Amino acid sequence: MSSVNQTVPLDRPSRPVGEAPAPRQPGRQPGGQRGRWRAAWGSQRRTGDWIGWLFLVPVLLVFAYFAWWPILRGLVLAVQQTNLVQPARYVGLENFQRLFADPLLPTAVRNTAWFALLSLVLGFPVPLVLSVLMNEIRRAAAVFRVLVYLPAVVPPVVSVLLWKWFYQPDTGLFNQVLGLVGLGPVRWLDSPSTAMVSIVLEAIWAGAGATVLIYLAALSSVPEELYEAAELDGASIPRRAWHVTLPQLRGVILIILLLQMLGAFQLFAEPFVFTGGGPDNSTTTVLLLVFQYAFVDGDYGGAAALSVLLAAALAILSAVYLRVTRGWTSS
Amino acid sequence: MRLRSRPMLAVSASALALAVLATGCSSNGDSGNASGGKTVITVEGLPATTKPGPRQAFLDDVKRFEAANPTITIKPTDASWDAQSFAAKLAGGSAETVIQVPLTEPQGIIQRGQALDITKQVKQLPEYGKLDQHVLAEEKDTGGKLYGLPVNEYALGLVYSRAVFTKAGLDPDQPPVTWDDVRADAKKIAATGAVGFSIPTTDNFGGWMLTTMAYTRGGRMEAQQGGKWVSSVTNDATTQTLQWLSALRWDDKTTGTTSVITSTDPVQALATGKLGMSIGAPNTYTQFVTTYHGNKDDFGVSAMPQGGGNATLSGGTVAMVTAKATQQQAEAAVKWIDFEYLQPQLDPTVAVAQAKAQSAQEGAVVGLPAVPLFDQASTDQIAAAVKPYATVPVDNFTKYLTDTRKLTYVSEPPVGAQDLYHALDPVVQALLSQKNADLNAKLASAQKTINGTLQRLQP
Repeated sequence: MSSVNQTVPLDRPSRPVGEAPAPRQPGRQPGGQRGRWRAAWGSQRRTGDWIGWLFLVPVLLVFAYFAWWPILRGLVLAVQQTNLVQPARYVGLENFQRLFADPLLPTAVRNTAWFALLSLVLGFPVPLVLSVLMNEIRRAAAVFRVLVYLPAVVPPVVSVLLWKWFYQPDTGLFNQVLGLVGLGPVRWLDSPSTAMVSIVLEAIWAGAGATVLIYLAALSSVPEELYEAAELDGASIPRRAWHVTLPQLRGVILIILLLQMLGAFQLFAEPFVFTGGGPDNSTTTVLLLVFQYAFVDGDYGGAAALSVLLAAALAILSAVYLRVTRGWTSS
Repeated sequence: MRLRSRPMLAVSASALALAVLATGCSSNGDSGNASGGKTVITVEGLPATTKPGPRQAFLDDVKRFEAANPTITIKPTDASWDAQSFAAKLAGGSAETVIQVPLTEPQGIIQRGQALDITKQVKQLPEYGKLDQHVLAEEKDTGGKLYGLPVNEYALGLVYSRAVFTKAGLDPDQPPVTWDDVRADAKKIAATGAVGFSIPTTDNFGGWMLTTMAYTRGGRMEAQQGGKWVSSVTNDATTQTLQWLSALRWDDKTTGTTSVITSTDPVQALATGKLGMSIGAPNTYTQFVTTYHGNKDDFGVSAMPQGGGNATLSGGTVAMVTAKATQQQAEAAVKWIDFEYLQPQLDPTVAVAQAKAQSAQEGAVVGLPAVPLFDQASTDQIAAAVKPYATVPVDNFTKYLTDTRKLTYVSEPPVGAQDLYHALDPVVQALLSQKNADLNAKLASAQKTINGTLQRLQP
């Protein structure tokens, strides 16, 4: 039985773990010991090469079929018009021209950027603060971890429907609670000015748990001596967090921030289930618009064109982000 | 794992991956010809296994049809219409030959080339001459070609809770007949703590409702210009409707405080006594009773309130033949639609047998009034024959039937109806969510969006 850590390079002769090497049989191979080993190595390397490639084939095929081919088809579809029945027709940049003429596109871009900003400003610090606090907890830490992670095990649509009920203007939980202290009622999802904030709050609740676990895992790798040294120097808990924890987590924080940003720009399920993009298009996001082009209007070319634009924008954003933050992880 | 078995493992894994992908690549659509030269068609409409009685009745119909048409094989499925997956199913060859769609869908399906022209096959039916040509208009393209047949049809009207009416001191047998009446009654209902009047606003329902209400004031949402259809949503009737609704929301405060309202919200509120009136049809009864467990005697429906237009919008279900069907399949499909859906609405013997079988099932809804697919006399004859087996309080529908007959049934906007409704959703939502919303600007913006879509749909 081999453990997962006992990996054997494919281009090296190997034997079953725990099995003794086969006894040499003098006189049966010409060229002496060195020559025999070299021959065996060469043969095994060639065998190992094609076996390695053969092992890769299933994964490559699956990726090609389910990821790369659809991406390629999407790029082609962006310059075509099709009803998916008759052959597609090449239309050049017509789909893009139509996109830019759609008065809803600026609204969708604005809403998406607004969500991204809100979710980063409100949502980014929450898991970070929670994980730093939880890392300091010595007793019943597991209970807190379960509690924080619990929302992540609720299916996204279920949690959205749950919060939709919380947000009900008259009978919803939040307005009932606010009413007890003489506040409200707030028109959470029913007002263009509060609908997006309401969606952000639910998204933070649903997404914080998984991020907290990542931060906690990273925190466990911070050397204990650093904290001890800081304590000896008389650093308080906030100063230890600021001067030890955060610098040590910098790499993870930057990656999480990038992933959150990319996720925020791909917002779909929440506005789709919560509001359908309303009221008055105040929660219509770019991906919701893609969905509407494809499945409401039957404009698959337009949907593909907008998807290509979104992908390009996110690629540029990621490149800029990585360039700007390149020196931060090592400094 | 021993070294010598590793190539075998890699080969096996590769073969498996190839097999899986090959399965994904292959079409599982029917070629249309089974062995023995039979024409095979797949049809939607089979009730789910959770409804064993109606399911068996449907399967019995399939057997009878196949016995009468030995060259046709029917493969029924319990799949139902889903706009989001339909195009992918059709492209992948797995869409059913016969689909059933709400009356709001055929125009979009026709314009996207996803249905087959069945004019020739339908004209061969013995019943063709008796079909109401107005009803068929909903399933035709602008060139007059026919792409579907009606399964059932209704006209939109006012649905209301008779219990809430009684509680508010209103006579449930004298529902409002004008929009002014609706406004006055809504005030009395709101005084009891319930919401007076509400309509759905999401998933294109907001635009659909606005269109229906504009029709009752004489408005139309599209007009022909230079041989093409353009948006006319900024008409006076639409503006008057918005002003009327705004008065209810902000002056009278009788429409509740929500602005994002799904299609089922008003029905649920009606069934639970939290809402007085909404817009719907006789078949709203099914949701009212079976989904939300409302008391069947509390369900009220009357003709669409009017504001000078003397009109209402018609709705219903249409059977269509998908675009990849062969001519043989199209012929078989039309025969099936005629057998299963048209003949029971023309032949009293067939209708009674069907009603008898259905009414024996628990929770069955039998006896709902419908718009005639054929002439009025045939429909009346069927209604009288089926009445002894009705499970619905038939008398509560009488006023709807008599008053709706006096109205003109106006069809959906001819081109891109769903797109038009979709563009109007935000207008209704803005009205309900912002007191000082500039409705004229919202309408103008919607008009621009709709015209962009109409240009694309009429190259």
